[in-house]
Amino acid sequence: MNIAVCLCQVPDTASVIGFVDGAVDRSRVNEVMNPYDEYALEEAVRLKECFQQSIVTVFCVAPDSAREMLRKALALGADRAVRVSCPTELSDPFQTARVLSQAISAYYSAVLPDLVFCGKHSTDFQSGQVPPMLAQMLGMASVSGITALTVSGEGFQVEREIERGIEYIFVTSPVLLSAEKGLNTPRNTTVRAVMEARKKTVDLLTVTLHEEPLVVMKDIEPLERKKLCRILSDEKELIRLLSQERHLF
Amino acid sequence: MNKFLVFLEQRDGIVQQTSIDTWNRVQKIAELQGAAVVSGIIAGPADIRQLESTITGDGVIYHAADESLRLYNQAYYTRLVADTFKGNDCSALFFADTAMSRDFAPRLSVALQASLLTGCMKFDADMPGGCSRPVYSGSLLSTFIPKRSLRIYILSLSTTDSSCSSRGHIDFMELEPQSFTDEPLVSSVNRIVMHEGTPDVAEAAVIVAGGRGMGGAQGFVLLEQLAQLLGGAVGASRSAVDEGWRPHAEQIGQTGKTVSPALYFACGISGAVQHLAGIGSAGTVVAINIDRHAPIFDVADYGIVGDVHIVLPKLLDLFKDFLKTK
Repeated sequence: MNIAVCLCQVPDTASVIGFVDGAVDRSRVNEVMNPYDEYALEEAVRLKECFQQSIVTVFCVAPDSAREMLRKALALGADRAVRVSCPTELSDPFQTARVLSQAISAYYSAVLPDLVFCGKHSTDFQSGQVPPMLAQMLGMASVSGITALTVSGEGFQVEREIERGIEYIFVTSPVLLSAEKGLNTPRNTTVRAVMEARKKTVDLLTVTLHEEPLVVMKDIEPLERKKLCRILSDEKELIRLLSQERHLF
Repeated sequence: MNKFLVFLEQRDGIVQQTSIDTWNRVQKIAELQGAAVVSGIIAGPADIRQLESTITGDGVIYHAADESLRLYNQAYYTRLVADTFKGNDCSALFFADTAMSRDFAPRLSVALQASLLTGCMKFDADMPGGCSRPVYSGSLLSTFIPKRSLRIYILSLSTTDSSCSSRGHIDFMELEPQSFTDEPLVSSVNRIVMHEGTPDVAEAAVIVAGGRGMGGAQGFVLLEQLAQLLGGAVGASRSAVDEGWRPHAEQIGQTGKTVSPALYFACGISGAVQHLAGIGSAGTVVAINIDRHAPIFDVADYGIVGDVHIVLPKLLDLFKDFLKTK
């Protein structure tokens, strides 16, 4: 079974996002693997461990600085790592999905991978558009935000959280699945795995993008959330104040 | 003239409240833009009489009552909505922000070559078609502009935005049963299992959330009681979920849900940036925490400094009395 996993880098949760001259300053930010991609990679590696002769290949559209993260993915159990380079700066999920679809098509030539895993969204922009867009471009089905996966006969039985319930979906490959928290508990790297990953190579694939973005970001500004909190001395006061907010009760 | 299409999501034959709210919001947007026509599309058999008393404005609602559309099917739904959109020469398509819309709207964006704007909080009057939403854990607000003439919007759920559009005339049009069986069946929902009881945190107007300060799964019983009393949902911080005290479906924050209740109680939650990312659009925030310097107080309207195990039982009794006198 051929399994592709799409990874991306995001600022780690402890990083403070700087804001300089009307633009986001990511220079002092520590970039890490998107947390949802960790679940995606873990699930791919678990499947590989169940099915012999499976090959897990990770893809990441990123500058050379992403090499360390790709090495980490190798240490976590991926067989191959591909850094996708694109001379054009990508400005929306559509362009990212297009570059990924070109990279995956080129890498596997005529035959699509049986499974493509992604994280349900990246924690920086949280649009969640890339996985279904990529699936549409590759011509495969997709399920967004899965929390369970079992191999069942000719396909996969997956679960995902919906409002007030759980959806049980049967899919056949090729299919793209995006991972939600709860799917698994990702493993940690071991010293030995890290050493072995150093011996592996990170392949480079260059993709040319011909399409314009569908959406552009016009501006970005700090979002002030601070409120003047009124500290109350007792609970009665709280009930009284809340009862005055007409829309509440 | 602009033509808007609204996707009305049904489950078990009932059109979801979030879709009705979206329809009503789109009616208002149409009014503001002037001379825009709004239509709706329902995939699957649904009780359309239910809508007559809840939706506002004028328009046509197409109803594809085909049995094969009863449960969500990504390929069928994508084709039905794309066909309706193109067939009616629409320029914008609107969805409520739900698990279903997030699953297939991006596919429509590629199929229709339409600009997709997700999580739209507010429409900017200065920039027609653009909308803004928080990014980077809610620390920044970004405005996104569509580059195509065809647009798809996923509107973030809002329980604080009440509609004031007036009741108009809606025509319901049953669509001819279509055969979707020529589509290769690659994915299908077999069944849906609903949780019993409380509403979903993503949709609730009142949320009573707890964190590490609740001390354990047992501590959440108090929160459940308060949530039930106020007709709300229980939410949890990441640490409460990671400890196994609550299911992930209730997690609020960066790796959980983004919520927009009218009233939010943060009990024993310190207020890490990742948690605050999920409550940026909450209305009134009440924080109860033993630590006066907890960051949650910086984003709260009202705060009580104290032990949740002492404060909550008192609040519960007071709310009971208060609601009785209403």
